[in-house]
Amino acid sequence: MRELPGLFDVRVKARSLAYLFATGATLGLLTLAFPHADEVRDAPLVALALTAYAISGLVYASADRLRDWQIHAILVAGSLIISLANYYAGPSTLYPLLYMWTALYAFYFFPLREAFAQMAFLAVSYAVVLAVQDPDSVVVRWLLAVGTPLVAGLLISRLLAILHEHSRELQQSEERTRLVLDTAPDAFITLDRDGHITNWNAAAERLFGWSEDEAVGKTMRELIVPPEFRERHEERRRALIASESPLATERFDVEFQRRDGGRFPGEATVSKVEARGDVFVSGFITDSTERLRRQAEREALLREQTARAEAERMAEIVGGMQALVDAALAHRSLDLILRDLVDQVRGVLDADTAAIYLADENGRLTRGASAPGDQAGGEGFAARVAESREATLARDDSLIGVPLLAEGEVTGVLVAGGEPTREFGDEDLTLLRLAAARVGLAIAHARVYEREHRIAETLQRSLLPDRLPDLPGLEVAARYLPAASEAEVGGDWYDVIPIAGGAVGLVMGDVAGKGLAGASMVGRLRSALRAYALEGHDAGRVVERLNRLLWTEAEESQMATMLYVIIDPAASVVRWVNAGHPPPLVIAGGEARFLEREASVPLGVLPFPTYEEVLEPLEPGSTLLLYTDGLIERPGEHIDDGLAQLAARVSEAPEDPHGLLDHLLATLVPAAGAADDVALLTLRNLPIPDRFSAEFPSEPESLAAIRSMLRRWLSHAGADDIEVAEITTACGEAATNAIEHAGTGNGSRFEVSGRRDGADVEIAVRDRGSWRPERDDDHGRGLALMRTLMDSVAVEPSGEGTIVSLRRTLGQRGGAA
Amino acid sequence: MTDLIGVEIEEEGDVVVARLTGELDIAVAVATGRKIGAAVPSSARGVVVDMSALEFMDSSGVSMLFALARQVGTHRQELRVVAQPGGPVARVLDIVEFERAAPIHADVESAVAAVATPRTSQPPPG
Repeated sequence: MRELPGLFDVRVKARSLAYLFATGATLGLLTLAFPHADEVRDAPLVALALTAYAISGLVYASADRLRDWQIHAILVAGSLIISLANYYAGPSTLYPLLYMWTALYAFYFFPLREAFAQMAFLAVSYAVVLAVQDPDSVVVRWLLAVGTPLVAGLLISRLLAILHEHSRELQQSEERTRLVLDTAPDAFITLDRDGHITNWNAAAERLFGWSEDEAVGKTMRELIVPPEFRERHEERRRALIASESPLATERFDVEFQRRDGGRFPGEATVSKVEARGDVFVSGFITDSTERLRRQAEREALLREQTARAEAERMAEIVGGMQALVDAALAHRSLDLILRDLVDQVRGVLDADTAAIYLADENGRLTRGASAPGDQAGGEGFAARVAESREATLARDDSLIGVPLLAEGEVTGVLVAGGEPTREFGDEDLTLLRLAAARVGLAIAHARVYEREHRIAETLQRSLLPDRLPDLPGLEVAARYLPAASEAEVGGDWYDVIPIAGGAVGLVMGDVAGKGLAGASMVGRLRSALRAYALEGHDAGRVVERLNRLLWTEAEESQMATMLYVIIDPAASVVRWVNAGHPPPLVIAGGEARFLEREASVPLGVLPFPTYEEVLEPLEPGSTLLLYTDGLIERPGEHIDDGLAQLAARVSEAPEDPHGLLDHLLATLVPAAGAADDVALLTLRNLPIPDRFSAEFPSEPESLAAIRSMLRRWLSHAGADDIEVAEITTACGEAATNAIEHAGTGNGSRFEVSGRRDGADVEIAVRDRGSWRPERDDDHGRGLALMRTLMDSVAVEPSGEGTIVSLRRTLGQRGGAA
Repeated sequence: MTDLIGVEIEEEGDVVVARLTGELDIAVAVATGRKIGAAVPSSARGVVVDMSALEFMDSSGVSMLFALARQVGTHRQELRVVAQPGGPVARVLDIVEFERAAPIHADVESAVAAVATPRTSQPPPG
């Protein structure tokens, strides 16, 4: 068993030794003051006492640094001094007492063997003194010399037994500690103040490959510190020992060396420990390899996460760019592109505001769209961006702008802004740069498209009648709804053509071509149809000639469907021809029915098809509806469903033509707009009353309308063809006079009224001018015609104007009068 | 409002034939007369106004015919009118005694043939 470090602290031993010497020296000097023997020689005794004092002082002063063997040596020196003093002082009871104290000291502080060794030396030196001083009494004195220490030794060994009991407890505690340390997973090492290893646990054996026996007494430098670190290790160790703090602890990451020369990274947690006057260093050493591996793994994971975040950020940039490009490509309407773009830019860049400026032909920028709402300002910055042709940051990076380029030209500038604290960065610039080229191109395309679309739509609109003719007895309404802006303007067209003889032609057509080509074909068909209709051809021949026109003149194989309906309101019949168009609808008595005859081929399909007209009654009070397929065709829906829907909506609609069309548009066209153009045309054959009264502008153009009205009214009243023609002619003369009296172009109006009483009809024309006497042949002929064609003609002044009343009884003249 | 009159001019030898369709009233009468008058070269022997397909004519149409008759008369050219017998146009021409100004035929062929054949007597002036 080794001596436990610190059980008897060297300082305690040394200081006790110093007291022992001082006490001995003082007692020695006291014997001089009370001499009891003549042969006392003062000088050597004083010198010995002074030597003892000196040794005492030295021992005390160097108590910290003394080692056990030095204490042994000093103790031997003490024994010699006592013996010398005894020799010079002569026999005295004082000296055995000093011997006893010395023995006590030895037994107290040293293991028994060492204590007995000291005692033996003391006994020898005392015996020498006795033998020199008084050879006669040598036995007594030997007994005294040996007996005294032996008695003291017994007493002391008894004392030690008690002390050992205490020390064993300490040892057990120490062993428990040691057990704990040995089973500890970490290496535990203690060093004494000189750096010698005093403890080396099992974990240290495993870790370094040196056994406890091999390690203890060596230094760490020799065993486990790699050569290049030894100097630094030594510095640290010294610094720790010298530190002021009694319990300094430090942690080092250092490299260690195993017995086999292998190295590993370790972590040492070292503490300076001061206990019972001694200083030592304890330390735990762990192998950091695993920890560092885990740390490396964590770092790798972190790097991977960072890399993934970076990739995601890039993906976000690309995604953002894609969102912008998608927005630019999603629509064909420039307006929608711009509005969608500014919204997307705000979202993608997390910006508060965004705006797009468009450059005109002169490069001047005007705001195209902004979000949210209308944002003022920013033109200056946009102009700078356009000039630099580079993505730019401004206003402490809270404003970002990028030029939109198409074929090297700046077509516009995209600007986004945030709060003053918002900082746009390189990522945002990158994103916008990437998106700008494609967005710029999309905008340029949209502008070209927009221009063409606008021209086509304008052309298309110009081809539709801007005002439907006023038709006596008939009420007409029409609607044209261009497709929602994405689709091209279609070739839908309709027309209302007054035809000689009071008839009205209704046209509803759909040319397959779109855009400008379609619109121009509509224009040609429309004027051709008007010409053919005037030439008095029947409906079938008109459509055949249109087919010929399309067949021979269309540049490509162009096709058109059309419906041509002639209404003769006088006869209350319709004659119609269908060239591949959805069937017209007749609404009579609240019932809707399609005029379902097998449709002939569309125009432009065959060179010489035959189109036969079909006759259908159209009773007064009923309504005819024409439309294009945009009204009934919906994606994913069968055309029959569309037709059934239409019939259902028509049945519930108001009778009034405008009300009918509004109702159909509201219920059949999606709120977002129709996918295709929708054209609607409706005509209501008004009920015919016995009396009528109508006002007309004093214009020659009113005459045809008056004739139409009269023909219809007279037919219904039972007039035959000749009577209709003659009465109409006579009334036309009266109306002509009324127009001439008023003078044209001054906005005045005249009134035509009629009433029927059995076979008697009376028609009155009332104007606000003055009746002029017949000045020339023309007027004479007019009046002659009236008089000849009617039974009676009366001209009466009335207020500020004139009334011409014309009467005739139907069925009286018998054939041509 | 759309013109309801249609005018087609053809030349058959040295005779000009003007075919009218639609309705002839004061709104279009003067213009129609000018159009026909301008289409008759001084070299032509005469002009035939074909009203057989005309659906309506009033006194302004009659005035146009009288004016046309005067115009061709000054150039020693002939005017002949074609109207469908019993139709509304013939009825009007009958009432105003247009026969006094120019002969009325039932078909274009006879009218053209009559112009192409030189005649000894001039029609009385309208």
